[in-house]
Amino acid sequence: MKPCLFCLPVILFFLMACAAEKPIRLPDLVTTQNQKEKQVCGQSFPVGKWQFVHSIVFTMQNGGGSTVIGVTTLTGPEIMSALITVEGLTLFEAIYHQDNNFEIQRAVPPFDNPGFAQGLMSDVRAIFQPPAGSKVQVGHLTDETPACRYTAADGKVTDILDADDCLQIKSYTPDLILARSIIGRSCRKQGSLLLPEHLVLNTFGPNGYTLKMTLISADELQGSLQ
Amino acid sequence: MKAASFFFLIIGALFFLSTPAFSLEDSQEQLTKIQSIRADFTQEKHLKILARPIVSTGTFTFQAPQSLRWEYRTPIPSILLMHGGKVKKFTRQDKKLVEDRGMGLDAMQVVLTEISNWLDGRFTDNEMFRVSFPDQHTVLLTPKDQALAGLISSITLELALQKGLLESVTIFEGPGSYTAMKFTNRTLNQEIPTTLFTTP
Repeated sequence: MKPCLFCLPVILFFLMACAAEKPIRLPDLVTTQNQKEKQVCGQSFPVGKWQFVHSIVFTMQNGGGSTVIGVTTLTGPEIMSALITVEGLTLFEAIYHQDNNFEIQRAVPPFDNPGFAQGLMSDVRAIFQPPAGSKVQVGHLTDETPACRYTAADGKVTDILDADDCLQIKSYTPDLILARSIIGRSCRKQGSLLLPEHLVLNTFGPNGYTLKMTLISADELQGSLQ
Repeated sequence: MKAASFFFLIIGALFFLSTPAFSLEDSQEQLTKIQSIRADFTQEKHLKILARPIVSTGTFTFQAPQSLRWEYRTPIPSILLMHGGKVKKFTRQDKKLVEDRGMGLDAMQVVLTEISNWLDGRFTDNEMFRVSFPDQHTVLLTPKDQALAGLISSITLELALQKGLLESVTIFEGPGSYTAMKFTNRTLNQEIPTTLFTTP
């Protein structure tokens, strides 16, 4: 058999590629009754009517992307969401209902892509609403990070973590592979809510993308909207 | 994001109606004297879902024939530069200005042509808008192009009591959705260094 001069580098290349793509699996949770760890469940999501305005830098895997202003209004049963350019053009506006249906009020290309509204709803719900899951466990990961773990009926798992005094949300598929991570930085307290000044949302997979969000304003709403 | 670029330049082009030289009665000779314009602006974005409008501030600088710097300072620092036929846009990310790519910036050249027309006094010969005058102090613009009409339903210019000055520009997208702009501290025909249009 002839020696294969190219085999070793090629093999090494694929081994390295496989290592880079290795999926992140759900870490073990040590359940406790620790009071501080219980707080993680209660302070991570807004209660009542709120409005958040963020600058959002979105980056696609091909390197393309841009900066927009994102508006999220939580009214209890409904979430209203809009994306606006810096210059004031409304690119996208929708109302999401509790039953996962939504109404698109306006969508400028390429935000009129059929999957865009659904994907945005998933991201918005992941950031602003407690995850689905009747089973809730409180404890910490093996590195002592306080955690609140929600397990949904379909097997999806979401961990809410208190890391570096700020919020992290990690969502796993029913196969317990990391699908989305939301990492907060520079958290501050607003009432009982832990509010990150900066959020980085990553979705994983061939169509993955990154959103870098910076808080412009957070308002608890008293009456009706304008 | 080509639509966003187009919208951006609409706003920029409308600024030229705010110069003291613009008036329904001004002669073509007066309009052609503008060599440079600089002004501060405040922009309010109104949407039904907003509890309070999103307020942006910045400066606008134009040098004849076709150099432009459209700079937002708050809430998101952003700079659009046009000079020598080149168009670039930069936005603040992670404390540094990053050039935006793939925005269809070539579409912006269209609006520079509109700006030149207005500076030559050819306001009513507008390829982009139908112009009407509901009253003595109001100019109403409605898009001619169907694609633009999908983005903007109409634009209202309110003229100030002082002849030739513009009070406000309001760009309507639809019910409850509009962008209102006001220009202040206007400076005309001051010498502006070229680097302002080439360096973010």
